[in-house]
Amino acid sequence: MNQFQYVRVTTPKAAVAAVTKENNSLFLAGGTNLIDLMKRNVMSPEKLVDINKLPLNTIEKTATGLRIGALAKNTAVAEHELVRKSFPLLSMALNAGASPQLRNMATVGGNMMQRTRCGYFYDTAMPCNKREPGSGCGAIGGYNRMHAIFGTESSDRSSKCIAVHPSDMCIALVALDATVLVSGSKGERRIPFIDFHRLPGDAPEKDNTLQKGELIMAVDLPNNPFADHSHYLKVRDRASYAFALVSVGAALNLKGNTIQEARLAMGGVSHKPWRLTEVEQFLRGKPATEATFRQAADVAMKGAKGYGENDFKLTMAPNTLIDALKTAAKNA
Amino acid sequence: MPDPKLMKNDEKSPAINRVDGRLKVTGGAKYFAEFEIPGTTYCVLVTSTIARGSIASMETKKAEGAPGVLAVFTNLNLPKIPGLNTPEGNNAKKPSGGETYQMLTDKKILFAGQPIAMVIADTLERAQYAATLVKTTYSKQPHQTDLEKHKAKGVMPQGERNADYKRGNPDTYKTAPVVLEASYTLPIEVHNPMELHGILVNWTADDQVMIYAKTQGVQMTQKAVAKAFKLDEKNVHVHTEFMGGGFGMGLKTWPQEIAVVAAAKKLRKPVKLVVSRDQMFTMVGHRPYTTQTISMGADKAGKLVGIVHEATAETASYEDFTESTVGMTKFIYDCPNVSTTYRIVPLDRGVPIWMRGPGEATGAFALESAMDEMAAKLNLDPIEFRLRNYAETDPEKNRPFSSKHLKEAYQLGADKIGWSKRKNEPGALRDGEWLIGYGMSSGTFNASRGQASAKVILNQDGSLVIQSAVTDIGPGTGTAMVSIAHDVLGIPVGRIKFEMGDTTLPKAPTQGGSTITSTVGSAVYDTCTALKTSLAALAIAQGNSPFMGSKAEDLVFEDGMIQLKGDRKKKLPVGDVLKANNLPTLDRALDSKGGPEQETYSMYSFSVHFAEVRVNPVTGVVRVSNAVSVADSGRIVSPKTAASQMIGGVTGGIGMALTEEAVLDHRFGRLVNNNLADYHVPVSADVPHIDTIFIDKPDPYINPMGAKGMGEIALIGFAAAVANAVYNATGQRIRDLPITPDKVIKRVA
Amino acid sequence: MTNQDNNEEQAENSGSSRRGFLKQSAALGAFAMTPPSAMKAVDTGLHEKIATAFEQMPLQVEINGTLQRLKIEPRVTLLDLLREQLNLTGTKKGCDLGQCGACTVHVDGQRVNACLTLAMTTEGCKVTTIEGLAPAGPDGPLHPMQEAFIKHDGFQCGYCTPGQIMSAVACIREGHADNPDEIREYMSGNICRCGAYSNIVDAIMDVKKGGQKV
Repeated sequence: MNQFQYVRVTTPKAAVAAVTKENNSLFLAGGTNLIDLMKRNVMSPEKLVDINKLPLNTIEKTATGLRIGALAKNTAVAEHELVRKSFPLLSMALNAGASPQLRNMATVGGNMMQRTRCGYFYDTAMPCNKREPGSGCGAIGGYNRMHAIFGTESSDRSSKCIAVHPSDMCIALVALDATVLVSGSKGERRIPFIDFHRLPGDAPEKDNTLQKGELIMAVDLPNNPFADHSHYLKVRDRASYAFALVSVGAALNLKGNTIQEARLAMGGVSHKPWRLTEVEQFLRGKPATEATFRQAADVAMKGAKGYGENDFKLTMAPNTLIDALKTAAKNA
Repeated sequence: MPDPKLMKNDEKSPAINRVDGRLKVTGGAKYFAEFEIPGTTYCVLVTSTIARGSIASMETKKAEGAPGVLAVFTNLNLPKIPGLNTPEGNNAKKPSGGETYQMLTDKKILFAGQPIAMVIADTLERAQYAATLVKTTYSKQPHQTDLEKHKAKGVMPQGERNADYKRGNPDTYKTAPVVLEASYTLPIEVHNPMELHGILVNWTADDQVMIYAKTQGVQMTQKAVAKAFKLDEKNVHVHTEFMGGGFGMGLKTWPQEIAVVAAAKKLRKPVKLVVSRDQMFTMVGHRPYTTQTISMGADKAGKLVGIVHEATAETASYEDFTESTVGMTKFIYDCPNVSTTYRIVPLDRGVPIWMRGPGEATGAFALESAMDEMAAKLNLDPIEFRLRNYAETDPEKNRPFSSKHLKEAYQLGADKIGWSKRKNEPGALRDGEWLIGYGMSSGTFNASRGQASAKVILNQDGSLVIQSAVTDIGPGTGTAMVSIAHDVLGIPVGRIKFEMGDTTLPKAPTQGGSTITSTVGSAVYDTCTALKTSLAALAIAQGNSPFMGSKAEDLVFEDGMIQLKGDRKKKLPVGDVLKANNLPTLDRALDSKGGPEQETYSMYSFSVHFAEVRVNPVTGVVRVSNAVSVADSGRIVSPKTAASQMIGGVTGGIGMALTEEAVLDHRFGRLVNNNLADYHVPVSADVPHIDTIFIDKPDPYINPMGAKGMGEIALIGFAAAVANAVYNATGQRIRDLPITPDKVIKRVA
Repeated sequence: MTNQDNNEEQAENSGSSRRGFLKQSAALGAFAMTPPSAMKAVDTGLHEKIATAFEQMPLQVEINGTLQRLKIEPRVTLLDLLREQLNLTGTKKGCDLGQCGACTVHVDGQRVNACLTLAMTTEGCKVTTIEGLAPAGPDGPLHPMQEAFIKHDGFQCGYCTPGQIMSAVACIREGHADNPDEIREYMSGNICRCGAYSNIVDAIMDVKKGGQKV
């Protein structure tokens, strides 16, 4: 790890100022991915601005829902009574991620800022457009078992990237219509969660739409009617402590057996948490039956594309979606 | 011939707690990297990014000038190691791949991840950073890392053990009423002990060095270093009391260890190397990628007519690695026509090394899967099929087994797992969405007794010290040795101390191949018996002896006392015998080895594994929901640690069956999942409650305890049990491990 | 440079490091900690020892009940601080990347991976390692979880054991040890290559059922 400048700040304003001013400076929160990346020489910031002392870890009810401070630890969110009761999908997704130790360290903001776990991104001896734009995508034609099946179209082949976003938490947040509150040198702004992460397009080095120096302050969740019918289903190579091959966050509002409203997102399939808006529309007003869910899966898989080793996801993803919907429909 | 009656065979050994337990649960146990030597410097290795070629240039100036850096060693400036590349050096035999390799001696690159520079600095952080400043350019050559593509280049390795084997007419299977031909693939697996590999070296004089190593044999490391640096062996002091797992990766002295010894000599400072986890995947061996074909014929009655077992495995271009992948097929079943072939293919990869269960585990996966496939073709219960081909005597060597209780093991295991619930028809059992299946497999591994020395010292306070250079990579060697001494001398286990893992102690073999309890245990047994004989003589002869006129065989050693068999009130504390005879201590040291019985009998440990699996046909997920392993490994010397070894083998077997695979990108010759997040060692959630059962009957011939080994059989065969259970659950046969959700979903969904 | 100097700057920025930074702006307010003479030394090519001094930062952290006043490079992880500087080698390095749990310690009562924790971020925290788990110290009576690991043989080589035990204690304190399946899930952040899981689960269940204070 390179020697870096370490600054501890106690106000968001100072944090934003410290990062905005310098080219290669980053916020340090839980560090569970950043320190890892620095150890592997994938990222070498010259300055780390430690934001852990900022007062941004509260979880509180708001007029329209719930506000979760960016520095709330993953464990604290997952176990918070309000989250468990009113946003169980988020609790389930968080508990499906990483390990208890990592969840004790990782923050909500940091979880959103996680970078891909693609092996080519981490091995500086191999090509990776995300790590080194223009160097090529090692995963295309290589080991792409973990990789994306959605949203990989790119205008320029040399900038191609089929990496996936690794977060579980973000699948729940994108499904539940969260908004991200960020603060920058020009003040605060709100970003719909669905627009926070981006597809690789022609700039796979950019994971999200944050501007230089912008600090995630909080995530807002609107109240929802899905608490009784939520399910997060994660398929992985190990029973625990493994990234998703495919995961599905499903939330339903049922009236009798009729779907009033649905919220759906998939993980392990795209460069960003993959919200299934079209499927949600399809499900509205339909009976919560396996037949409906199978049709929904067909809608969900439109445009999916395998890269060889990840072709199995073309089967696993719809299967997992159907299974998650079935379980969500049963929950109460 | 040893007389097992010497042991109290009618009784089971007590289930004593691990003797080093307190040190291990308090953090007090010191592993190699944890010895504090003032002035220790830190070594970080820079490795090759390409898989074959040579170094064109290396820029080390920036690293050398970085804060705290003491030296950067490359092939250009590492001091010559006097004993390397000599006729008696490590590369005495020319390998099949034709290359030679010693670290930092030339420009050649023979595998990706090969160490090409050592950066040494005053702190770990500075060494790590400076290592990133070394810049290398290469002259690349095309590399070969894909065994599947280069199978045709397989060669028969040297050595009798690796020769083609033939019994009867191997082609007979082809005309049998029921024929099976199937190919099986085992990927690269990596030992990945939790402790990282490395070495801590401190030259205490120009010709004297103290080494803390991660080695499965301190005397092996001692010999290697003494040879490399042309030192007197007694001037090379190696200490490894605790080793954080080995599983085989510590069975040799690796080139980087020798290089660090050289660097420390040059710098005249203590140097510590702890490799990184990704380096654990490339420079300390692995289980080789192996493909196998089993061809098998049987008659309608379920009697095997012929088996042909062919295996091809990777090795390095610079070293031939071989293991006994096809060995089990020669003797485990009674079959008149058997042939085996074993080939190795030199690739541009680091050399493999034996990994727990080694080749036998690889071979058992293929053979025991094939047995299950054949049983299915015959519509026979897999246990019944095995019983119809049970080998009462060793068909390979035409001689009796020293002991074999496999039939009993089948029965005990079947009862425990609830085998009667199993349906021979696949896919018949379901729990909601989940399919349920049962599978079983046998395992076997050579049992032997080698040569070792031990010393025992009795003190006046009745405490006993046992000494042996043997290391303990985890199975509980110290606990077993204390248990044996306790059995012989009746001294309470809490009063016995086992000193180990140091070259100043009596000679012991390297820990591996399930031989230590048999070999070192026998030495401890013999030594304690000699001490007992002396004690008895002294006790009878001493003034005012309560045993006046008795014979040695009339004395009983129990609870730290010597007692008269017929009149237990007549007794003496063992320490009092020393006091009465004016002896501060009484010690015995012996060299001990097996006798001719090893040539008269075939000695093997056996195991039977049972797995219950749940398969989700929608997601492809497989879970082992119940596991039973039965070991026929002779008398169990230390039941508690033995049971742990068994559950450990099952856990390793779950990894082999379901999760573990190191993946190469052959375009680069590099591994793409060289870390513990992407290479999936099973976690707690993958492992169910495991039942272990011991036959616990002494082998009458192998050694005085009657104990056969069990470290390997704990794993050998388990993966086949899981694969067979997956078949039973789904009707799908997955022949390439690991059985990950993607493979299941492709077949089942 | 003392810790007191540092504390005075707590309001906005409570620490900073590195030669590069010394040359940079005073805008962040951490400037008072940097004497002008040092600035000059940086510019004119600093003697190594002085450079070292200024690459190090003060850290106060309570480890196993003892307040440590340290000076460290900011890139030093809690794990390397414990093992290489404080000789608290009970905490193990298994992967150094948060992928195995061997380095599990408690920071302010929470189990974390010391390998991904920059030591600087533990300023003012209470750290407990395996050496500090038993209240009476390493030679006194063992913590009930340590006893249970011995009783159930919850280890073999012993290398992952301190991390397993620290995690196991936390698992009970967090309320995640109600049944074997829950324990398996909440102990999955600690890899044991020897494969002692089944015994570890038994040990934790035993302590949980025993109801002793952990």
